[in-house]
Amino acid sequence: MTTVYLVDDHRLFLAGVRSELEGAVEIVGSAFDVDDAIEGIRETAPEVVLVDVHMPGGGGLAVIENVAETNPDVRFLALSVSDAAEDVIAMIRAGARGYVTKSITPEELIESISRVKAGDAVFSPRLAGFVLDAFADTMSAPLDPELDQLTPREKEVLRQIARGYSYKQVARRLSISVKTVETHVSAVLRKLQLSNRHELARWASHRRIV
Amino acid sequence: MVAGISGGLSAATGIAVVYIRAAFLVLGLVWGLGVVLYVAAWAATIDIPTVEESGDEPAPQADRQTHLGAAMILLAALILVRSIGIWPGDGVLWPAAAIVFGSAFLLDQRGIDSRDFLTSLVDPGDNSMRRRSIVGVVLLVAGLSIFGTSAVPQIGTTLLAVLITGVGLSVLFGPWIWRLANDLGAERSERVRQEERAEMAAHLHDSVLQTLALIQRTEDPKRMLTLARQQERELRRWLYDRAPEAGTGSLSVLLQSTVDRIEADFDIPIDLVVAGGEVEEDLVIPLVAATGEALANAAKHSGAAKVSVYVEVSPEAVDVWVADQGKGFLVGDVNGDRRGISDSIVGRMRRHGGSAVVSSEVGEGTEVHLRIERERTS
Repeated sequence: MTTVYLVDDHRLFLAGVRSELEGAVEIVGSAFDVDDAIEGIRETAPEVVLVDVHMPGGGGLAVIENVAETNPDVRFLALSVSDAAEDVIAMIRAGARGYVTKSITPEELIESISRVKAGDAVFSPRLAGFVLDAFADTMSAPLDPELDQLTPREKEVLRQIARGYSYKQVARRLSISVKTVETHVSAVLRKLQLSNRHELARWASHRRIV
Repeated sequence: MVAGISGGLSAATGIAVVYIRAAFLVLGLVWGLGVVLYVAAWAATIDIPTVEESGDEPAPQADRQTHLGAAMILLAALILVRSIGIWPGDGVLWPAAAIVFGSAFLLDQRGIDSRDFLTSLVDPGDNSMRRRSIVGVVLLVAGLSIFGTSAVPQIGTTLLAVLITGVGLSVLFGPWIWRLANDLGAERSERVRQEERAEMAAHLHDSVLQTLALIQRTEDPKRMLTLARQQERELRRWLYDRAPEAGTGSLSVLLQSTVDRIEADFDIPIDLVVAGGEVEEDLVIPLVAATGEALANAAKHSGAAKVSVYVEVSPEAVDVWVADQGKGFLVGDVNGDRRGISDSIVGRMRRHGGSAVVSSEVGEGTEVHLRIERERTS
């Protein structure tokens, strides 16, 4: 069973997630704040950390950055009520393998966790929308075409995700395998993390919540 | 004052800093002796703890004996320098000392509420303040009048009287007025804070608390979910979008309100994702109307748990997809009375130079794709 660590400063929400996940994953620990989380994750070395974006003391970003230094194998899935693009993109760029909103169903969450554990990326419709927006063609010439642009196929996959389809449905609709869908979204995630395009930061800070 | 020497001495002896400054000032009149002492003390500050000059620090309070001793030392020092002969003259120094210390007494308002200053002069309850004030006024008036009659008789008496009155008044009421103004400022910012709190409380009461109460009374989990989602969205807008955008008729804003309305009417969660910038005004209305119709259809007939809307604005066109994963239908099978799709969606889009494609599969769900090309002026 996948070992999971939970970080959220809202105890009620944490308790809810815990009961939803019980049985499907092995919850090795949880924390309500940044410092406890860093310590606890280093101690328990879980496979996947579910981390809230907004927390006092630096938020999920501080947790990811600190743990990544000592435990590069730990994988993060950001889970938040926040839809602010700059927060989401900052988490992804810090190393989170995906972002889902708290309105996600338990089944989807469990599937997302196993996907993150396998090293794949998890894109919610909203995150896909952010990425399509950020990498829109209207921007100036890219510095590094390899990293600063999405391929037509990657865009098509993201569009399907933004329209609310699961990876499996996307695969069927585009007549490709689920594995290929995963390859595409992982490539997009890598571009998000490595892309140098300065517009990305600027875009994120200008983007408002819908 | 310059190097914090007075403050340091005050902290060390417990004598209020105004008196120490006054002493330096008086000694300074003796051909600069005070200045010399001040600099000497500054050079030797290794021994004297200097403190920040802040008026309301809880400094140690010297007792009567310390004050008396310090006053004696100052007096002895003055008499000493007088006998040595470093002396600007009796008619200048004694009244000057009286003026300086009289002012010091009045400036020393430790622990006194500014608005009680005037009442404290007549109120028998507050002894120390009253004594200080009376002694201060007496010293000040005596010093000024001696100074006025003996030291500078050549200056016009009228001018002098005006000057003396002015100085006297400003010394008497200056600190009080200053404090009063300060207090008023603090009071005003406190009131602004309170108003903000009240506004926030009112808002939370009208929105969040009402919704929470409603949720507690709701049996239907679907309705609960809708209420919670609506409230979340509204609160988020209130928190983060303080200033409403100038173009309130923009596509994303209008779509959001349409989504909110349909969520409320049909108790179904709708995910709205928008990528891309602004759209020409004449395209917004038909797009929003057709999207609303497609959403209403999905909510009414699909039986899906949720509906997704994705809008993509590119330089060439605006695309809207409304997708549900409900029961779906055979597209050719739609009855004639279901005019919603053919009129409101397909017809409307055609009239505005766009298109609408409905695809559906039984058991898989339905997707409506709206598209309007943008006219490119380039």
